[in-house]
Amino acid sequence: MSTTESPTAAKKVVIHLRATGDAPILKQAKFKIPGTDKFAKVIEFLRRQLHRDTLFVYVNSAFSPNPDELVIDLYNNFGFDGKLVVNYACSMAWG
Amino acid sequence: MEVLLWDGTLSSHDFHVAARAFTENWKQFNPTLPPWIWVPSRLSEQGYLSLEKICIVGSSKEHEQKDVDEEEPEPVDNATLVETSSPQVCYYDFHILYSDSYRVPVLYFRAYCIDGQPLAWDEIEKVLPACSAKVLLESKWTFITQEEHPHLNRPWYKLHPCGTSEWMKLLFLGDESLAKKGVAFEQYLVSWLSVVGQVVGLRIPFEMLNHHKSCN
Repeated sequence: MSTTESPTAAKKVVIHLRATGDAPILKQAKFKIPGTDKFAKVIEFLRRQLHRDTLFVYVNSAFSPNPDELVIDLYNNFGFDGKLVVNYACSMAWG
Repeated sequence: MEVLLWDGTLSSHDFHVAARAFTENWKQFNPTLPPWIWVPSRLSEQGYLSLEKICIVGSSKEHEQKDVDEEEPEPVDNATLVETSSPQVCYYDFHILYSDSYRVPVLYFRAYCIDGQPLAWDEIEKVLPACSAKVLLESKWTFITQEEHPHLNRPWYKLHPCGTSEWMKLLFLGDESLAKKGVAFEQYLVSWLSVVGQVVGLRIPFEMLNHHKSCN
């Protein structure tokens, strides 16, 4: 078994929250989160801050990540300038 | 078309173009999964996309919770019969149809056990990911309903498309490089499925999105 302990595993990722649509802008729009955390943590943070249960959350490349994705994987694929921009909107309507 | 002026919908022709790009893209990055196939309709010029017999292991929320709350073991009551100790394995058929009235793709699906026995709605609810179970509770009648499949005339489950154009527009506006180029309909279905797939637990490999970028 090869030991590929990646130094990025413990890396913290800067999340930049960007309001879109009718969503309110948060006072704390930037925060750091361990790369090993799931994207669900980011969604949870937004839900708590906005007091909303249903949010529409997406990154660039017109992609809405599954809550089970790891933050570091998202950063490696969609991050730039040392941060991962996460857009959020409140008007998520299914029906 | 400029993204700013775009309403998030696509024409039936664009849907066909998007479907072709999507099936190729899927094949390239999901070699171990069944392919999406374009099924021509006998009734009209329109067809639909079909992905059948895909196995999705039921939501693993119980396991995840154990990982997180290791220091707080759940009390074990040996006298209780626990029927669903392991996540249920089930198979899905997914069809993506074009809705003429909403001018967006719509997901139709059905689920069944390994022996082919179809799953009833209350059983499907149990295997759906935690996030969709939550949305279902909040908007039970406008989210997933059972309707007649327009091409097969059998009851299938359908995800309601009323909000689709709105969030598709948001998705495309969120990417500066995409927004500059105008609406890239070849990418429509990947982006669409990144949202819709979450409801049923279907993941999109990141390469499918990066691939599109490198193509341009």
